[in-house]
Amino acid sequence: MRKNDCLAMLLAGGQGSRLEALTKHIAKPAVSFGGKYRIIDFALSNCANSGIDTVGVLTQYRPLVLNSYIGTGAYWDLDVTGGGVSILPPYATEAGGEWYKGTADAVFQNLDYINMNNPNYVLILSGDQLYRMDYADMLKTHLENNADLTVSVMEVPIEEASRFGIMTVDEEDRIVKFTEKPKNPDSTLASMGIYIFTKDVLERALREDNANPESSHDFGKDVIPKLLAEGKRLFCHRFEGYWRDVGTVASYYDTSMELLEEEPEFNLYEPGAPIMSNADFRPPHFVGENGSIEKCLVGNGSVVLGQVKHSILSVDSYVGEGAEVIDSILLPGAKVEAGAKIYRTIMSENACVKAGVKLGDENDAKAIILIGDNEIVERG
Amino acid sequence: MEKVTGIITANYSSEALGALTKERPAASLPFGGRYRLVDFPLSNMVNAGIETVGIVTPYKYRSLVDHVGTGKQWALDRKNGGLFLLPGTVFGVSSLDSRFLMRDIRKNKVYLNRSRAKYVLITSCSFICNMDYTGLFKAHEASGADITMVYTEAKKDCKYTDKLELEGDSVKNVTRGVKKGDNAFIDCFVIGREFLLKMCEWYAAIDHLDIFELLQGEYAKMDVRGYKFEGYASGIFTVDEYYKCSMDLLKPEVRTELFNYDSMIMTKVQDSVPTKYLGEAKVKNSFIPAGCVIEGEVEGSILFRGVNVQKGAVVKNSIIMQSCTIEAGVCVENAIIDRNNQISAGTVIKGTAADPLVIPKVNY
Repeated sequence: MRKNDCLAMLLAGGQGSRLEALTKHIAKPAVSFGGKYRIIDFALSNCANSGIDTVGVLTQYRPLVLNSYIGTGAYWDLDVTGGGVSILPPYATEAGGEWYKGTADAVFQNLDYINMNNPNYVLILSGDQLYRMDYADMLKTHLENNADLTVSVMEVPIEEASRFGIMTVDEEDRIVKFTEKPKNPDSTLASMGIYIFTKDVLERALREDNANPESSHDFGKDVIPKLLAEGKRLFCHRFEGYWRDVGTVASYYDTSMELLEEEPEFNLYEPGAPIMSNADFRPPHFVGENGSIEKCLVGNGSVVLGQVKHSILSVDSYVGEGAEVIDSILLPGAKVEAGAKIYRTIMSENACVKAGVKLGDENDAKAIILIGDNEIVERG
Repeated sequence: MEKVTGIITANYSSEALGALTKERPAASLPFGGRYRLVDFPLSNMVNAGIETVGIVTPYKYRSLVDHVGTGKQWALDRKNGGLFLLPGTVFGVSSLDSRFLMRDIRKNKVYLNRSRAKYVLITSCSFICNMDYTGLFKAHEASGADITMVYTEAKKDCKYTDKLELEGDSVKNVTRGVKKGDNAFIDCFVIGREFLLKMCEWYAAIDHLDIFELLQGEYAKMDVRGYKFEGYASGIFTVDEYYKCSMDLLKPEVRTELFNYDSMIMTKVQDSVPTKYLGEAKVKNSFIPAGCVIEGEVEGSILFRGVNVQKGAVVKNSIIMQSCTIEAGVCVENAIIDRNNQISAGTVIKGTAADPLVIPKVNY
């Protein structure tokens, strides 16, 4: 692959409002996950591991944490000469300024960035999905089919198909029909929201979409159906493997807990394709004389003086003497003081449960308690 | 503050560290779960605002250069200043107990000549401490001394540590070996850059000696002062000292001082995943970094990244370095297991607290 042959545009501006308190202060791609990561680590690591070293990150909603986290991209080895990570927020022009009105509009407003890098292909990614993928394989599919657009798809159970954008394909995997959330799906191939466009096709499609006052400026709703209607060459790239979009608090919780299984479906550590992150210099974690840890993931900088069972303790968590943490997730800096007991609780960054407080019901296997960033819980 | 440039001498070892430094300089001896000894002086310098640091390289420099790289993790990958590798002049590391050879400085004079710093801070890698050097710089500047040497009160006897004989804060002599309660030099001193360059000229003919050997008998003619460091400082010259200093990390007061979040000890970062505890893990009073998988019993121990303690294995009062696997049913007690060891099922490895057993590094 020639340098900059394929450029990635990473959509990271979404709020993710269904994650409630988790995204009150930060964008969804910046939400902590898996003890030391933020969700955007997966897309950035995939780019680095796939040999894509030019990545535009489109930000809009509460970008501060995201911007400072990404920095120069060095943590993903994306601080390279002639490429690297560029943060692309909405900007003003002599005609005024505008927010990104949709996924397609966000990329449209950054056509200058794309043209400056002059790639032949543009990879469109979401910054809020958990998966490991070699985009080079997808690009290969795109080239083999001489496609205008390639959509990454995965098989989903037919009963879940109505939650996705569903692709109907012919025997060559050419897309013949695309339906967003169909009531009666006729295919089980769901779009993962990952696209490779031939650059000239993308540019023309985005300019036309921008000129269309009826459009909602969304790739799935507007751009792809239009290209399909025009008879462009749209193909599928079939992906098999782990993929999650943690859209809700419940799915965030379940996806996190899956990591605690002995052989989790998603292996965070795969030699040759590591998930990289902007990790602080934290000392090892300390387990005290009366601490006990069972079926857990524990990040650096944590201190465990109490009992922790089937939980994730992210970087810099604290569990005091006599405290009990069961089926819970502590995000970075969360603190459970001495004697406090929490069950099925997600504590956001730097949240604190004061000494002796009890949260959650050990017999209720459904309800999840969510405590926001920096929140202090003084009573149960 | 006047500009200060740093020099870290990383080209020596200590015979008493035995197998631990057989194939590596003391500077790259792993310590504290995810660090190497050089991380401490290097981070202290960077945290004190020093932007140019030269590291005198050992003969066997692979592990050291692998670790420090371009200095990126310490923000020393700079356009102006940054990290410099200064070739050491000694071939072989094991038996030489000098830490500040004049020749190492003299042969790297160009580093000092190009510098615009007024002072040079020189340290070895032998002491574990998290020290804020700003008080030292102030004291040195205020006194106008030629050299200011940092000392602490010796907590025990050590024949490898230098003793400062003080009158007030004036250093009258420096001799090797301390008894408990002596003023122990912690291998860290400030000196005027121009003064150091002059010393290079004065002692050119006998530059195979240690700086403090050269100064024997010169203390009356020079203004050499002592500066007391009140924090935690522990020398690592013997296996016993290495073991005890490691075990000190299990004390909360030592841990919080050394790994103070306002002046972080930085190190080479790897993409280790958080440590996984499986169902039967039993861990207490231990210091464990990311990247481990624990199914067995661990007590009073320090693990390093990538250690796997399998079901039914017992690790007590031990130090297990990177990428070791402790198989099912193994019992390790009072031992230091160096990198890459796979301890096969059923093995018993036992030392004593006074004489921990060292299992050397495995190369592959």
